[in-house]
Amino acid sequence: MADRIVLMLTHGPEDPERATIPLSTAVAAQASEVEVLLGFQSNAVSLLKNGTIDHVFAPGFPPLKQLFDVYREAGGKFLACAPCVQSRSLNQEDLIPGTQIVSGATFVKEFTASSHVLVY
Amino acid sequence: MPVKEDQVLDCSGLACPMPILKTKKAVDALKVGQVLKMISTDAGSLPDVTAWSQKTGHELLSHEESAGTFTFYIKKAK
Repeated sequence: MADRIVLMLTHGPEDPERATIPLSTAVAAQASEVEVLLGFQSNAVSLLKNGTIDHVFAPGFPPLKQLFDVYREAGGKFLACAPCVQSRSLNQEDLIPGTQIVSGATFVKEFTASSHVLVY
Repeated sequence: MPVKEDQVLDCSGLACPMPILKTKKAVDALKVGQVLKMISTDAGSLPDVTAWSQKTGHELLSHEESAGTFTFYIKKAK
């Protein structure tokens, strides 16, 4: 199996470091020529709301928005848990470009197509 | 014999993962066989650049550290 990883975010702006580490890892993966996909569940979907990441900073790391931009410019995609999005009264138009709202079967498909899945 | 670089990239002050990202972009812009001299102050630089070189196949020719500043010579291999 080719190198492919999925990083699952489960924390939002309430925990800047835990929200930033997977983005940092994702960018490092892209730079290392490893395919990477980001999934957002629980309050991590709040990070995908337009404007939220502009205000998330973790000491010692680049700004979260910078990492999102680098990841996206390199072709990275965002999968957002549909129930988590709906329970926060968010719609597709509320979410940053590149976000795909999906349900459990899509996550399972991505997990089984990858060599590693990490949950943050 | 000392290594002669074709390009210099100074990543001093940049935090992970930016040194590796900028290194990749700089190496991508080189021709095969050319050498990048990369300078970094990120504390994880040595294992990071070593792992990146192994993963991507580019050759880490040498490295040195002085007072928290790391200097790497990387040869583009493909």
